[in-house]
Amino acid sequence: MAPREILKIENLTTYFYTWAGVVKAVDGISLDVREGETLGLVGESGSGKSVTALSILRIVPMPGRIIGGKIIYKGENLLEKTEDEMQQIRGKEIAYISQDPATSLNPVFSIADQLTEVIRRHQNVTKEEALKKAIELFRLVEIADPEIKIWNYPHQLSGGMKQRIAIARALSCQPNLLLADEPTTNLDVTIQAQILELMKNLKKLGMSMILITHDMGVVAGVADRINVMYAGRVCEVASTKTIFRNPVHPYSRALLEAVSHVTVKRVQPKIIPGAIPNLISPPSGCRFHPRCDFAAAECAAVVPQLVEIEPEHYVACIRAKEFMENVKEVKL
Amino acid sequence: MKAGRKIGTADVMKEKLLETPDKRRTDGVSQWSIAWRRFKKNKAALAGLIIVGAIIFIALFSPIIARYPLNYLASFKEENKIRVPPSSKYWFGTDYIGRDVFSQIVYGAGNVLYVGFGAAAIAMILSITIGITSGYLGGLVDNILMRVTEIFLVIPFLLILLVFLRVAMTIAPSGVGGLTTVTLMIGLFSWAPNARIIRGEVLRVKQNEYIEAAVALGASKWRIMFRHVLPNVLHVIIVLTTLQIATAILVEAGVSFLGFGDPNSVTWGQQLQMASEAVKEAWWEGIFPGLFITLLVLGFNLLGNGLRDALDPRLRE
Repeated sequence: MAPREILKIENLTTYFYTWAGVVKAVDGISLDVREGETLGLVGESGSGKSVTALSILRIVPMPGRIIGGKIIYKGENLLEKTEDEMQQIRGKEIAYISQDPATSLNPVFSIADQLTEVIRRHQNVTKEEALKKAIELFRLVEIADPEIKIWNYPHQLSGGMKQRIAIARALSCQPNLLLADEPTTNLDVTIQAQILELMKNLKKLGMSMILITHDMGVVAGVADRINVMYAGRVCEVASTKTIFRNPVHPYSRALLEAVSHVTVKRVQPKIIPGAIPNLISPPSGCRFHPRCDFAAAECAAVVPQLVEIEPEHYVACIRAKEFMENVKEVKL
Repeated sequence: MKAGRKIGTADVMKEKLLETPDKRRTDGVSQWSIAWRRFKKNKAALAGLIIVGAIIFIALFSPIIARYPLNYLASFKEENKIRVPPSSKYWFGTDYIGRDVFSQIVYGAGNVLYVGFGAAAIAMILSITIGITSGYLGGLVDNILMRVTEIFLVIPFLLILLVFLRVAMTIAPSGVGGLTTVTLMIGLFSWAPNARIIRGEVLRVKQNEYIEAAVALGASKWRIMFRHVLPNVLHVIIVLTTLQIATAILVEAGVSFLGFGDPNSVTWGQQLQMASEAVKEAWWEGIFPGLFITLLVLGFNLLGNGLRDALDPRLRE
């Protein structure tokens, strides 16, 4: 009873052609999102998470270009669609929530205008019906006094409220897949908690979601499965539980060690030495090897492929087997 | 306009929704109402608005305000005199064929504003279309449009305008459309600087995430350009329009003064030209039309500056 995939990305490659050279932002990644699940896309800044999301919608900004791979959505390759067909998919089938709620709403229109615009773009309804729907959405994202707040302009609302509205706008046409690009990064911790609670509730609507974040705490709470990315490639894919209990890839482990545990002990979070590599001329072989504590000689030569080391757990590391055994020993 | 219709329906709906007996209701405060609040505080801008308003009033009610009929040779017919100095009978004196200068200024107001608004409208439509398309689409379109704009920027504007006017005026049917030809020519040759400014502003606006959000939600290119980008560069456009009106008025005066205007229409520039023959003997013939040109251009400039201060988000306290 394998769960059905709503989105399957195969070998997606997106490069940016800058003056300085070709930036290999996303270099042959594969991933899949199953129906109704939330997939966490985790990695440092610059690991290609956002570019992956933009590639799915085919809105990679200039000078970026998708140069290869397949993005299969409901059995159809999005990369073969025309621009007109894509416009029908954006917002209606696949919706996107951008990073900064403060700027993702147009300052010159009232919230009512912005919500009804999307609803009327994709659904054949009158203005009054669209407005009613918009107010319903306000209730869904738990905004008090929707009939009044909907006539406000963005500058009259707080950051948390704006992000709720951005979420409401993304949900307005009941998309099957939601791409949330760091939806909580620019918010206060208390507001973050509220938004995450809201996102969890949204899962009940049966929608699939890709949650992009570098905050391990966020994915732990919301995601079903996690996809760890580093420098434009996928390192490890497994269920949230597995990633947190039994991470195999050295990068996944380093990420988890970099998180401070308030509840456990006074342990200093460990810093991953070095910075994410220059993606114009990335390291050979495994892209993590210059920063990896466990790098072997062949790590610089061989590009590791994603291998299923146990059911539903994929790792792209040539020493994965070794690490697996070690972890088991420790547990015993 | 599109926006007007949209707000109309929305307002009706708002009324309906607000019928609920809720005391806490707050209306949305748009950026425009904030801008108007700021504008009201600016005395110079209000002065500009009053000057412009007064001259528009004069133009609308010219037959009532003028003391003699259009082109009536008042002092010549009644006293057989021309170039009579200002008196209670002729407030601003009379001109080289005995027409009342004040009445002629009043009749000219409408023509002057026609050229100003008309030329500015043509120039702004061109510069908005070119600026937004060029800035938003970028790439090859941008390259081609901007090179064309540069061609218009480097040609000596006044000189080429005079050449085209001379040609156009000989082709144009006499009497009809002389002023319209002048307006059209000024409009067609003065859009280039504005197109560049608007393009620059579009380049700034299109970086914003709400544009990305609109793309991600499935809006088409044209919809984004004219519904999402245009309202966000409107503050620049409004300011440029007022300044463009002032420039067009000045250019028309200049062209008429040089004798390339429409000789059959009364404009302040035409009056100046005739007055230039006898500046020493009849100073009133040129001073008063000149004063009105200055006043009107000053009014539009004050208005434009006031609008810029009120609308520029960077100056917001």
